[in-house]
Amino acid sequence: MGQSSPPALAAGIEEFVFSGEQEPVLAGLDVAFAAGSLTAVLGGSGSGKSTLGRLLAGWLLPGDGGTLTGFLELAGTCLRFIGTAADPRIDPGSWGRQVGFVPQDPAAALSTIRATVAEELAFGLENAGIDRATMAGAVRHTAALTGLTMLLDRDPPTLSGGQLRRLAIGCAVISRPEVLIMDEPFASLDTDGAEDLAALVRNLVQDGTAVVVLSQRADAFLHNADTWLVLAGGTVAAAGSPAEIVAAGALELAGVVCPRPQAGPLPLAEPGFPAVVDGPPALELRDVSFTYRGTQRRGWFRAQPGPPADPVLHGLSLAVSAGEILAVAGPNGAGKSTLLRHLNGLLQPTAGSVLVRGRNIGGQPAGRVAADVGLLFQQPRDQLFERTVEREVRFGLEPGQPAADQAVQQALAAVGLEHLAGRHPAELPASQQRLLALATVLARRPSVLALDEPTVSLDGHGLAALDRVVRSTTAEGTAVVLVTHDLDYARSIAHRLVRIEAGRLLPAD
Amino acid sequence: MRLHPLTSLAAAGSTAVITTAAASWPLSLTVIAAAAGLSVAGGVARRMLPVVAVILAPLVLSLLAMHGLFFPEGTTVLAQWGPARVTVEGLHFALQRAAQLSAAVLVLLLCSFTISVPDLVAALSARGVHARFAFVLASTLTLLPAISSRLGRIRQAQEARGLVIMPGIVGRAGAFRWQAVPLVLSLVEDAGTRSAALQARGFGSTGHRTSYRAVQDSPVQRWVRLVLVLAAVAAIAARLWQPTAGAS
Amino acid sequence: MSSPSLTLPSPATARNRRLLETLGALAIAGTYIYLVLNQPADITGGPGSASALIALSGFLIGAVLLIIGVLPTLPVSTLVLIPVALVLNIVLGQFVGSTLVPFYLDAIGTVLIAVLAGPAAGAATGALSSIVWSFFNPTVLPFAAGAALIGFLAGVAARHGLFRRFYLAPVAGFLAGIIGGVVSAPVAAFVFGGTSGLATGAIVSAFRSMGDTLLAAITKQALISDPMDKAIVFTLVAVLVYALPRRTRLQFPFVRRYRVLAGTAISRPTGGSTGKSTGQDA
Repeated sequence: MGQSSPPALAAGIEEFVFSGEQEPVLAGLDVAFAAGSLTAVLGGSGSGKSTLGRLLAGWLLPGDGGTLTGFLELAGTCLRFIGTAADPRIDPGSWGRQVGFVPQDPAAALSTIRATVAEELAFGLENAGIDRATMAGAVRHTAALTGLTMLLDRDPPTLSGGQLRRLAIGCAVISRPEVLIMDEPFASLDTDGAEDLAALVRNLVQDGTAVVVLSQRADAFLHNADTWLVLAGGTVAAAGSPAEIVAAGALELAGVVCPRPQAGPLPLAEPGFPAVVDGPPALELRDVSFTYRGTQRRGWFRAQPGPPADPVLHGLSLAVSAGEILAVAGPNGAGKSTLLRHLNGLLQPTAGSVLVRGRNIGGQPAGRVAADVGLLFQQPRDQLFERTVEREVRFGLEPGQPAADQAVQQALAAVGLEHLAGRHPAELPASQQRLLALATVLARRPSVLALDEPTVSLDGHGLAALDRVVRSTTAEGTAVVLVTHDLDYARSIAHRLVRIEAGRLLPAD
Repeated sequence: MRLHPLTSLAAAGSTAVITTAAASWPLSLTVIAAAAGLSVAGGVARRMLPVVAVILAPLVLSLLAMHGLFFPEGTTVLAQWGPARVTVEGLHFALQRAAQLSAAVLVLLLCSFTISVPDLVAALSARGVHARFAFVLASTLTLLPAISSRLGRIRQAQEARGLVIMPGIVGRAGAFRWQAVPLVLSLVEDAGTRSAALQARGFGSTGHRTSYRAVQDSPVQRWVRLVLVLAAVAAIAARLWQPTAGAS
Repeated sequence: MSSPSLTLPSPATARNRRLLETLGALAIAGTYIYLVLNQPADITGGPGSASALIALSGFLIGAVLLIIGVLPTLPVSTLVLIPVALVLNIVLGQFVGSTLVPFYLDAIGTVLIAVLAGPAAGAATGALSSIVWSFFNPTVLPFAAGAALIGFLAGVAARHGLFRRFYLAPVAGFLAGIIGGVVSAPVAAFVFGGTSGLATGAIVSAFRSMGDTLLAAITKQALISDPMDKAIVFTLVAVLVYALPRRTRLQFPFVRRYRVLAGTAISRPTGGSTGKSTGQDA
């Protein structure tokens, strides 16, 4: 070998096909990751980057999970796969000691059988039969590296999202792997969390780990990466340094979101709606207060960690007219989601009232209010339950009516999913699941559209579709309330911006 | 000193076996009283009481109604309404069974309420095959409380898109069909991720394992466990040897 | 620093656990036959504890042997599903048990595993379900063998394609319920001297009022409740399984190998809707 040093991990994938499918998810792909380097694999939702990550990390095993033709090379060992039963079978345990992986949902990576963070970290070492003193040392070292030292005695389910992600990273790096692959590590982290994570990644790279970040957003931190690989349709569409890729303009085509660094606060969008003078506002909150009434659920054995109680609201008053876009911004736990749940009756105010088109919705079941107020949650998977995309959108509409057919078609077309009408919702990539959930709400033509963190998990194409939908529905007179922690996005789309802090509304500065 | 989890398990198990084998009134009542006393002393009585009530109330009521009213074998009739006859033998049988079952249920519940699950898992994990059993036990106990909050989240998300849930049991059962699919789907998907994570962390390997959590044990406790198990076996043997001895 | 080996030896060395499984099945069958043939006269006469002990220990030892035999052979991907199944069993079983319905619905998770991963996994899940559930409710512990049997039968039904046609699932459940009910009846009779629920207890009382022996009355009650219950459970599981996306269903080798579900043949003519999922909605 004439090169300076062999890569820590390399792969040449001619084709990877899931069991029972014919279309390859990955095809014609060559990648190599050098020790002590940072690589970002960028691509839109469904570009195959998660599949690539899991395949490289031994989380998706050739043979059981699908058919691979090509090779994987780790630490000088090269495994060749030709898609037959005689192929080598990866031992996930020993592979995992050298390649760490952090999935998108860090909670799913936990063992669920360890009672403290320290024991969770030690789980992999226990299985390798390492003695207790060595384990204790490794746990201390990893905890210091990932900033978990103060949390070592906590029960894992009680950790916050950012802490869980650091725990999952700690579990992946405690065996000191040469390669660490992380899937969307920056998604849904606030600014502080993202900075902690960036520092952690820098440390790992300095220690000689090859770090691979899979992402659909070209976040600011990723501009420090040595290499960018842009994935589209299961193959590498572009590769090079961040500057080269940005210059070539390959990101937008692949559906990667590129947050533009802002010099200062943007001006708010022009209110392009005619001021409606007559008639009541589409949505009005009159002095709404809410306190959490403790109907404490009892766990059988452990004190139930559960989600924290809903934050309280203090005398909120607010009116949104038809055709207006209102953005509500605020830190986590300020009461954004509590407020949103009042708009359609999922929560009933303890004092004050909520009026939709001048009618008080107090006492009505949320399912009925939903005809007027469409509310979209963050987790699309919870909202979808039908067998096909088309049935999903049709659910709850008058059956057999030509009007229903038309509404379904229009809603699907509005979000750009009409070509996927026959697919199973759960098989769609996350971005398209969110769009589908949006379509199910649109099909009922609500007069108020309430969106919870609409930008999370949407890729570039999804964001464009969301923008189109929000603008076209407001043009037709729908009032839109969106709750977000992304101030730049809020300013780019909203006509009016308010902040919520500790359950009180403040004017945006 | 804290009891080793296997010691309390052995104590509860062998008490339940011996009570069943002895089938004697006084012993059953003594065990019930002792379990109640220990639960108060251990400070778990208030948490245990509703669970005990939920389990034992239907059981005891069902036994009393069944045998108290219908006991064709009974001869000493106390009262009779149509086909229903209250007999001394029937009441005796029902009460005796109720006492015996209550004793076993109370002792086992006391054990599961006082035992430290992480300690039990660590103690079991240290013994080969049990690592997988310990996983099933501990993972179930972790997932159980999470499931009600997950169901609640799904229900809210679906109501928000227009699913009307009628009040009452019929409405909730009808809505359950819609919630079951996302619930099972997300649980199965999470299980797939967890499976990959566990395997990558060496859970599937068959080699030697160690435990990070140290569980206190002592030679005395080891002996006590052995004696308890032997006592249970002896009680079964004695009962099988003399099936009708000690009938009260 | 290359660690031992990155690959596994070609086919996984299948340890011979058949012996334990067979012993477990024999213990359960033997216990049942002994109890039925000997019809211990002392059920309602004496303390009845000898037959209670035989029923308890015979069925429990059988269930434990089954678990010891099957559990180590399951792939991790199946193992992690078992807690999920147990949670479904326990939550539904506890809920339905507290209502006045003479059903149990406490086997949905077990049957789900059996359909996705086969009879052995189903039997182990059934037995584990009772044992873990007894942590909350010790009265279900003696039914471990019956629950294991249901899991096993569901797996056999799935292997022979009874879940391929939607209308066959309740039929399979009905038959499995008859067998399971008959096997569980002695436990209810000898260990509990009745049943643990109010609704099922009322049915037993009705038969007792006609002069049946306790075992006969409970067996008849089981023949009313269990087949209906299992028919409902099998149907619900069929609904659930067909609602799962294809990729999820096909990740289970048992489903692929025995073509457990309709429409899961490996090669399928792809319609026009399988375009690549990116880059088309811009």
